[in-house]
Amino acid sequence: MKIDDFSNEPVVLSQLPDAREVETHPLSPRYRIVNLATVVVVFLLISIGISIVYFQPWFPLPEPVRAVYPIALGIVGFISGCSFVYHWLADPRIRYAVRQQDLILHKGLIFRKVTCQPILRVQHIELKRGPLDRFAGLAKIQVFSAGGSAHTFEIPGLPIERAAQLRQFILDHKELDAR
Amino acid sequence: MNHTRTEQSSSTVTHQQKSIDTGDSWQRLAPISILYFTASNIKQFAQFLIYVIPALAISSNIFEMHRLSYAIAAGVGLISVMSISGLISYFFYFFRIHNRHVEVKCGVISRRHINLPFWRIQNLKIEQPFYYRPLNFALVVFDTAGSSEEEAKIVAVPLIYAQTLRKQVLADTSVSKAPSVGSPEHASFDREADEVVLNRRSIKDLIIHGITNNRVWILLGAAAPFYDRASTHVYNWLESKGLSLNHIIGEQTAAWWQLGLYTLTALIIIMALLALLSVGGALLSFYGYTLSRDKDRYIRRSGLLNKQEVSMKRSRIQMITAKQDWLDKALGRVNLYFEQNTSGTPQQPELMSPNKLLIPSITIDEVQPLINGAMPGSKIYNPNYKSVSKRFLSYWLGIWILPPVFLLSGIAVYFQQWHELVVILIVAMVLNTLMVLRWWRWGYTDDERYVYVRSGRVGLDYQCFEKYKVQQVTVVQSIFMKRKCVATLKILLASGSITIPFLPQAEAWKLANALIYAAESSRKSWM
Repeated sequence: MKIDDFSNEPVVLSQLPDAREVETHPLSPRYRIVNLATVVVVFLLISIGISIVYFQPWFPLPEPVRAVYPIALGIVGFISGCSFVYHWLADPRIRYAVRQQDLILHKGLIFRKVTCQPILRVQHIELKRGPLDRFAGLAKIQVFSAGGSAHTFEIPGLPIERAAQLRQFILDHKELDAR
Repeated sequence: MNHTRTEQSSSTVTHQQKSIDTGDSWQRLAPISILYFTASNIKQFAQFLIYVIPALAISSNIFEMHRLSYAIAAGVGLISVMSISGLISYFFYFFRIHNRHVEVKCGVISRRHINLPFWRIQNLKIEQPFYYRPLNFALVVFDTAGSSEEEAKIVAVPLIYAQTLRKQVLADTSVSKAPSVGSPEHASFDREADEVVLNRRSIKDLIIHGITNNRVWILLGAAAPFYDRASTHVYNWLESKGLSLNHIIGEQTAAWWQLGLYTLTALIIIMALLALLSVGGALLSFYGYTLSRDKDRYIRRSGLLNKQEVSMKRSRIQMITAKQDWLDKALGRVNLYFEQNTSGTPQQPELMSPNKLLIPSITIDEVQPLINGAMPGSKIYNPNYKSVSKRFLSYWLGIWILPPVFLLSGIAVYFQQWHELVVILIVAMVLNTLMVLRWWRWGYTDDERYVYVRSGRVGLDYQCFEKYKVQQVTVVQSIFMKRKCVATLKILLASGSITIPFLPQAEAWKLANALIYAAESSRKSWM
C-alpha cells in the first residue's frame, strides 16, 4: 500500500455532486429525422421489392408463395410501424450532459437509463460518421473504457462541430492517461 | 547465446536491467523452441482440419479418389511440411528486450513486428510445456490491456531468465509511477527469498474441486434410481396419447424397458467417467497448487504436466469473487477468484485464464484472510447486507412467470388435462422458488472503501470491489419502477459488470454518486 497520495477525509454523502441534477442537452433534431426517414425508406424498398416479385409477369409464382405476399407485407409494415413510433418517441429522450469530470447520457423509452462515464477512466475516443451521418452533418462519439466493448459509452446524433468540441474536451482532460 | 548472461544473480537494478536486456541486436530462441513451434503448428492445422474435413469428404466422393496417387503425394507433402514448419518458424522468429521494450519479429508469410513497452504489459504468464521441463526452459506470454492483436510471446527462454524478466517487467510499472516510494529494485534476485506461500491445495482439495465443479452430472447420477419410475410414467403418458414406444422401436430384439435399462446403465457409466475426468482435469491443472505473495504480487503455480505460473499485481485486481455452488455449500468450500481487466484479451477457459486468479475449493475460514491480503479491511461476510426491494419479485413473478402459468393452467383446466396441469404447477412452483431464493440472496452493502454484492439462488456468490475502480455507472429505471421509486444499478468494472437490481431509488443514486465521486476524486490508477 502506497501512502503518498492517500488521504482519508470523511465524505459527507449528502454533499456529493448528484448526477441527476445536471442540465442535459438534446441531440440534433436532425438525428430523429434521419432515423425516421431511414425507417420509411427501408420499408418502401422492401415492400417495393416484394411487390415487384409478386406482380412481375415473367415467371409464375407457386400458389403458397403468392399466399404469403399479404402476410409478408403486413409483417414488414408492422415492424416498420413499431420502429417508426419508437424513434418518434424515444429519440427526443436521448439527452446528454457534460461535467468537468464525466459525461452523462440519458436514454430509453420504457427503461430509462442514465449512464455516467468518468473521463478519467476513458481509454480512447472515436468519432464516427456513417454515410447517413455525413449526409445530415452529424457524428457520433464513442468513448471506450475498460470492461468490454458492450458497454461502450456512445452519444449519437451530434452536430459535427459539437462532436469535435466534445472530443477535444475529453482529450484535453488533464488527468487522462499520463503515459 | 545471450542467455547465459542472465543466470548470474545480482541485486542492483542496473545489473538486473542489464541481465534481461538483450542489447540492440536481435536474438534467436533456444533451439528447443522448434518443438514448440511444430506442436503449435500441428495444433493449428488440426483445428483448421475440423472445418475442412466435411468439405474434403464431399469432394473426394465427387472425384471418387480417381487421383489416389496425387492424394498420397499431397499427404506426404503435408506431413513433411508440418515437420519442417517448426524449423522455419524458428528461423523466422527474433526477439529482443531493450530499453524496457519487448520486441518480437515473427511469422513466415505474414510478418509481425510487435513492440511492447514494459509499462503497457498488464500481466505476464510463464508456462512450461512438459517437453520444456527437463531442460528448464519456459514460454513467456505477455498480456496487454489493449487488443489481443498485441499479445506477444517469447517462445523459449531459460526459466531463470523468464523469472527475472517477469520480476523486472512487473516492477517497472510501480517504479515509473511512484519513483519515491518503496523500491522493488531492492528486491532480492532470489525468487524464493521474499515470497510467502499463502495457500496450498492438497490432492484431497483438488478431488473435491473436481467433483464440485461437475455438479450437473452428479445431480443426474443421484437421480438415477428414479429414472425407471419416471420413464414408466412418461411411457404410459405417451401411450395414453396414442403414441406407443413399442410401435416405434418395434418388438425386434428386446422389450422397451430392457432397452431403457441398458441406456440407463450406459448413462450412469458415462456420468461416472465424466466425474472422473473432471477430477482428473482438476488434478492436471492444479496439481501442486501454491498461491504465494511477493510484495505486491500474487503468484500462482500449478500443473501436473504443463506447469503454469501466473502472476498478478495486487493493484490490478479489480474485484474478488467468492463463489459457492450448492454442492460447495454442502461441503463448506469456496472458489475464490481474483479478477482483473478482461477487456481486449480473448475469452479463455476459466481455469487457465491469466485474468482470473482462481484459488480452488478453499475452506470458509481461509477466505477472509486471503481477501484481506488483497483488499485490506474488507469484510465480505459482514451481516449488514441490505436486501433488494420486493418489487424485484413482483416484477419477475407478476410479469414473466405468473401470467403464462395462469394462461397455461387455464387452458389445461378447460380441456380437463389434469396431468398437464400438475406438470405446469410443479414447474411454476420450482420457478417461483428459484425466483424467491434469488431475491432473498441478492443483497448489497458498502463501507468507506468497498462495495459488496451478494447473489445466488441455492448457491451463494459474494463480490467485493474497491469504489474508485469503477469504469462506468448506469442507473436503469422503467416507468413502472419510477412509480414505485426503485431503480437498478449497473456498475462496470474493468473485469466486467455487476448488477444490483431493484434497490430503493434514493439508495441507487446515493451509491452511484458515491462511486462516481470515488473514481473521479481519486488519482490512483485503476490498473
